[in-house]
Amino acid sequence: SGAAWARGLLSWARPERWLASGSLFPLSCIHTSTSLQKIGKWEKKNRIVYPPQLPGEPRRPAEIYHCRREIKYSKDKMWYLAKLIKGMSIDQALAQLEFSDKKGAKVIKEVLLEAQEMAVRKHNVEFKSNLHIAESLTGRGRYVKRVRCHGKGMFGIMKISRCHYFVKLVEGPPPPPEPPRTGFDQAKEYVQQLRNRTLVHTL
Amino acid sequence: VVILVRSPLPRLRALLQRCWGQLERGLWPSVLGGQSPPWGPVLAVQGPALVPQGINDARESSAEAPSLLESVLWMAAPKQRRTIEVNRSRRRHPSKLIEMKRNIDVCPECGNLKQKHVLCGYCYAKVKEETRLIRMEIHKKEGGPFNAPTVETVVLYEGEKPTEKDAGKRIIERARKRPSWFVQN
Repeated sequence: SGAAWARGLLSWARPERWLASGSLFPLSCIHTSTSLQKIGKWEKKNRIVYPPQLPGEPRRPAEIYHCRREIKYSKDKMWYLAKLIKGMSIDQALAQLEFSDKKGAKVIKEVLLEAQEMAVRKHNVEFKSNLHIAESLTGRGRYVKRVRCHGKGMFGIMKISRCHYFVKLVEGPPPPPEPPRTGFDQAKEYVQQLRNRTLVHTL
Repeated sequence: VVILVRSPLPRLRALLQRCWGQLERGLWPSVLGGQSPPWGPVLAVQGPALVPQGINDARESSAEAPSLLESVLWMAAPKQRRTIEVNRSRRRHPSKLIEMKRNIDVCPECGNLKQKHVLCGYCYAKVKEETRLIRMEIHKKEGGPFNAPTVETVVLYEGEKPTEKDAGKRIIERARKRPSWFVQN
């Protein structure tokens, strides 16, 4: 009876969009994840629902947010891989990561494949190759301090670092790379700044 | 980040105090303003036999510790903390970023990705697995180490008969269809 009441109360809010994946009975209660594991902000970004688009508007490309938490790797080292694949198409990124020698490359590849599958299954993406990486970030995970023994009875304190990895896939071909800033562009901007000057506190 | 922490031993502490006192007296005679008398030999002793053996240990330790501390004063150390901007510029310099690989192709056999100068990983794994099974058959036939025959070996799959060329060779049977990539001679 409690389940029926909850179902009736929340049917207008369409809770199936809000509940975390992996719940057996989606309409039995409001939140299914335990209160100990806080749902991160990046995971919540997948839950936003836009109002339906008007007939004349251009089609809004699908956005898929995915992340993996507490990866046993350094965030600075992971950042180099995240910087490598920023802005690439998903196929190109997977190719680069497959032949990279870094430990984080394997993890990021798994995350990208998971995100690609999520995109096709849940986010109404038609072609799994038609995705590009709009954002790829790393974050600091929980660090743990441990003792590292040196010779002569000395010891140091080392920190065992973990990191998070966040990725946002957007449907569509990757945007063309920005052309590098030439001297001519800089000169043009400077001249424009000079022209924008006006007189202040005058009539 | 590793921070060295000295475990306090009383002997070392006494040694440090002694050496620090020596240094203070030795390095800043001008600070005292001529209050300390000029140095000169107080007692001239000739020959090592006159020096008692008990002070040997203290002399050795006092002899090596000032050199250690003097070298510490001379060692290179950072003068200023590197700002986060400087650190970022160093860490994000193009030479430190990972370069994009331009030598990735598609394997014509299986369609997986491969590097141009390296064998395709999938095809290699396939061949490796088949070779492992052939080796198991060879092991079953030989029965132990050092039993390898002096003749050549030929691998035959299901429905294949040995030809005239395979007259004197050892034959290994594999109970499956011949794989397409294993060409029969």
